[in-house]
Amino acid sequence: MEILTGFTDTLSNLGGGFATALMPFNLMLLAIGCFLGLVIGVLPGLGGTSGVAILLPITVFIASGGEGGATSAVIFLCGIYWGALFGGVITSILFNIPGEPWSVVLLFDGFPLAKRLGKPAVALASSFFASLIGAFIATVLFTFFARALADVALAFGPAELFAVFIMSFATLVGLGSESPAKSVMMIGFGLLLAAVGFDTITGAPRLTFGQLEILSGIDFVPVTIGLFGIGEILASAEEQGIGFVERMNAKVGLKDIFETLRELRKRIWTVVATAVLGFWFGVLPGHGATAGSFLGYGLARQYSKNKANFGKGEITGIMAPQAAADASAVGSLVPMVALGVPGSPTSAVIMAGLFVWGLQPGPLLFIDHPDFIWGLTASIYLGHLMTFVMCLLAVPLLAKIMRIPYAIITPFIVIISIIGSYSLNNSMFDVFITIGFGLVGYWLRKMKYPLAPLVVAIVLGDSTERELRKALIGSGGNPGVFFASPLAAILMILALVLLFLPLVRMLRERRSARTDTLNPS
Amino acid sequence: MIVIAAVAMFDSRASALPDPTGTFPGGLGPGFYPFWSAAMVAGAALFVILRYQVLAGDTQGVFAKREAWVAPLKIALPMIVAVAALEWLGFYIVTALYMGFFARFIGGYRWYWVLAIAVLFPLVIYLAFERGFRVSLPKSVFYEQGFPF
Repeated sequence: MEILTGFTDTLSNLGGGFATALMPFNLMLLAIGCFLGLVIGVLPGLGGTSGVAILLPITVFIASGGEGGATSAVIFLCGIYWGALFGGVITSILFNIPGEPWSVVLLFDGFPLAKRLGKPAVALASSFFASLIGAFIATVLFTFFARALADVALAFGPAELFAVFIMSFATLVGLGSESPAKSVMMIGFGLLLAAVGFDTITGAPRLTFGQLEILSGIDFVPVTIGLFGIGEILASAEEQGIGFVERMNAKVGLKDIFETLRELRKRIWTVVATAVLGFWFGVLPGHGATAGSFLGYGLARQYSKNKANFGKGEITGIMAPQAAADASAVGSLVPMVALGVPGSPTSAVIMAGLFVWGLQPGPLLFIDHPDFIWGLTASIYLGHLMTFVMCLLAVPLLAKIMRIPYAIITPFIVIISIIGSYSLNNSMFDVFITIGFGLVGYWLRKMKYPLAPLVVAIVLGDSTERELRKALIGSGGNPGVFFASPLAAILMILALVLLFLPLVRMLRERRSARTDTLNPS
Repeated sequence: MIVIAAVAMFDSRASALPDPTGTFPGGLGPGFYPFWSAAMVAGAALFVILRYQVLAGDTQGVFAKREAWVAPLKIALPMIVAVAALEWLGFYIVTALYMGFFARFIGGYRWYWVLAIAVLFPLVIYLAFERGFRVSLPKSVFYEQGFPF
């Protein structure tokens, strides 16, 4: 009975929230926010976080002068976040350059599906549909469980988080189609790159060799832009020749949309599962959409029947991480509003906005400002729907980009890559990193080294070290902490099994080969 | 890869092992993580080399053919020159020259198209990034003399 009352109360509050969010002024702000976010997402180097930060001062006027007050302001800022989440995939899929950190993972399958398999419209539509579903599931969870989940998330300690990261790496080794030794090498290389710069615990410089530029570390965005964007240009110059122009069908009709929907139906449970997991990962403070998208990709690959197709244009490799990324982004708002602990860098900027507008994030926000909370919740539903429609209408135009002549698109990609890496920290060093890793990426491709483990390790390397050391500090240096809680122990054991899977597979293959030699019949 | 790993291991060797004395919080010094990451690279690299000694690798001789490096070199060289020139010529002049070079020598466009591409692209980027989003891109040595690029 109590549950039913709670359910109807939530629905009634949500109804009130929709009434607020559907006010013409708020609806207009949401549309402007989503559109700006979309543009920001498409442009490499301008992330959702920086977009929200740039436009934060404007919200002071919206909050003080607008009819919706702080609710209008948060609707506008969140609109930018949702727009950037959708927009980031466009450059990843069409140019092989990540528009946003969370769309890095889409380089693995999005670009191959668009270019090599000649289905740019299906690749884009797949990511948009997955985004919408992931966000919808996450928003429903946000609506009903925001406060309860925030409390549970705080109990998820460093040992459990470390085990989750180890499992992500183990998935890439144990179930990858490439040589396990090469995957291990790439993971180690990625972790090594992530370790460059100041040690966050002791403050000691590591692997900097006296160079001031790298004291703050090597950012993964310039590295991935180089590995994928520049590396692909060099590889295609060799494979297809200079001057090669795409001759793919750039028309998008209902046929493409129906094809995407058919593919989505086959993978709906994977999308739902990764969305739920992505949401949960977003709720855990300090992670957000980027780590969520990689986790989603790893899990989808682990349980897919088409493991061998991953990295070659597998639609699950687009849908799963995209659903997880959007769900993580929504999830990252949970600790922000319920506990005053930002779940991601972007939600940290939005939280700064809350202080600027005179609100105190935390449990009291639900009691003192229910109109704000429910207006925000309703705007999450509306914002994602709005961005989805904007994106879908733009797909035909976006897919035509693939037909731009080589002599224009190739230097343009290089120029956009330079902007993307430079504008991150206004650093020429990042541009050199991009070009350097472009050459490295070409060489790795030629030598058949997998790029995915390298990128995953650079992205998750810092978080993995942080959780490892936090867990050990908490336990007084006792490594038994990683097996102390049942959840951490299960995850660690699973990770070890996955790591040793290639060895077992190799021994079994060798034994069957020996049996075949002994019994040639 | 082995050389990179060896250099990293050497640089972080000082605090590579767990420290039970309590000097470092949690018993791990700053060198632990990079040292063992590098060790992982070195171990895996040695395994790959040993495996290639036994089994012929499918990547042997990939750079033997001329096309394997001539075409990428034609793309890589102008790119490296453009990036090297960024500090003096700035982003907008480099964009104009780089886009114009490709349009003329790779695309074979007529000169008026080359000129249009060389002017329009930097202009659109300038309006979008510098004016629209207030993102400052590298300027040339002429910027000090009052030019906007």
